Amino acid sequence: MKQFLRFLLLTLVFSTGVAVVSNAETGGDENRIDLIGKVVDKYYLDFKPLTTIELPRLIYDNGNFHVYRSTTSLLNESEIFTDAAYLDTGPFIVDGRKKPVTYKIVRLDGSSPQFDFSITNHLVFFWLAALLTFLIFIPLSRKYRQGIGRSTEPRGPFQNIFETLVIFIRDEIALQNIGAKKYQLFTPYLLTVFFFILFMNFFGLMPWGVSSTADITVTAALALFTFSATQIFASKDHWKHVFWFPGVPVPIKFILLPVELIGLFTKPFALCIRLFANMASGKILILSILGTIFIFADLFGSGVAYGTSWFWVFLTLFIYLIKALVGFIQAYVFTILSALFIGMATADHSDEHGH
Amino acid sequence: MELAYLAAGFGAGITTIGAAVGIGMIGKSAMEGSARQPEASGDIRTSMLISAAFIEGVALFGQVVCIVLALK
Repeated sequence: MKQFLRFLLLTLVFSTGVAVVSNAETGGDENRIDLIGKVVDKYYLDFKPLTTIELPRLIYDNGNFHVYRSTTSLLNESEIFTDAAYLDTGPFIVDGRKKPVTYKIVRLDGSSPQFDFSITNHLVFFWLAALLTFLIFIPLSRKYRQGIGRSTEPRGPFQNIFETLVIFIRDEIALQNIGAKKYQLFTPYLLTVFFFILFMNFFGLMPWGVSSTADITVTAALALFTFSATQIFASKDHWKHVFWFPGVPVPIKFILLPVELIGLFTKPFALCIRLFANMASGKILILSILGTIFIFADLFGSGVAYGTSWFWVFLTLFIYLIKALVGFIQAYVFTILSALFIGMATADHSDEHGH
Repeated sequence: MELAYLAAGFGAGITTIGAAVGIGMIGKSAMEGSARQPEASGDIRTSMLISAAFIEGVALFGQVVCIVLALK
C-alpha cells in the first residue's frame, strides 16, 4: 500500500512536470513540437518558460560590417536585410505579431550576404567552455610553477581532482600513444582538447544549456586542429608510408597510394562525425522519448498518456545519465584517437627493419 | 521519393546491426581477456575503447549516408 502510494505520488509529480513541458514546447498557436528546431543552432539564448535573450547579429557584406542589437531590431530597422527561411517558432515580435525565428538572413533581393558572423546559442556556450578551461587551468598551472604539487603535495580538493585527470592524460594517453620521445610536445594540446570537449559536453546536461559539440562546425574545427598537428609534425616515415609504402612489391605500392591518401582525410572526418553524432543523438533521443508521451496522447487519449508518462520520464532520466557517461567517454575517445593519430604520424621507424 | 525514406530506415537498421555485432565481439574478447589476465585489464580496456571507436566511426559513416538520403 505504501509502495503504491509512493508510486502514485511519483506519477503525479512527473505528469505535472510533463504537462508544464508540453505547454512550453507547443508554444501558443502551433500545436506541434519542432524536434530539429530544438537541436539546431539558434540566434537567441533559450530560458524558455522564463525568458529568451536575443543575441546580436553581425553581418559582413560588401566591405563593411552591419551590427544589429538583436534579430528583432534587424527585422524592424534594417533597410538592407530580411529573413529567408522559417525553421522554428521563436520569440521575435515584428510589427506587433509573433514571428518565426529567422534562421537565415538575406539581402532584400533574396541573395545571401557574404558572411554571417552572428553570435549564436552554440557559440555562447563554446565561449563559456573556453572561459571555464582558462579559469581553471591558468591558476592551476600557476600553482605548479610556484612549486605547490611538485615539491609539496597538491593542496585542496580542486587541485587534487584535476591533478588526477591531468596525470591520467599525460601518462595513459600521451605517453602510451605518442612515445617517450615526443609526448611532452603534445601533452598541452591533448589536455586542452580533453577538458574543452568535456566542459562543452557537460554544458549540455545543465538546464537551458546546450552542448556546442552537437554542432558539426565545432567538431570539424577541433578535428582540423588534430589533422594539422598530425600533418605539421609528421615524420619523414609518415610521408614515405603515404606515397611510397615501404616493404611491398611495386604494383602494391600503386594500389596503396590512393588508399593511404584517402586515409589521411577519413581519420579527422571520422573524429568530427563521431563527436557530433554522439552529442546530437543524445539530444534527439531525449526529445523523441518525451515526444512519445504526446504520441500516446494523440493515439489513446490523454488518460493513457498521463498514466504511462512516468515510464518515459524515467527512461529520459536513464538516457540523461547515459548522456553524462557518453560526454565523458567521447572527450576521452577524441583525445586518445588524436594521440594515436599524432603518434602514428610522428613515429620514427628508422631503428626498425622493413616496416 | 518515399523509397529514399525506406532506404534510409533500412540502411540505419543494417548499419546498427553491423556495429552491434562488432562491438559485441570486442566486448566478448575483452571480457575473456581480462578474466584470464586480470592484471592486464587496464590495457585491454584502453584498446577495447579504441577499437570500439573505430567500429563506431564506420557505423557513423553509414548513418550519415542514411541521413543524407532521408533529408533528400
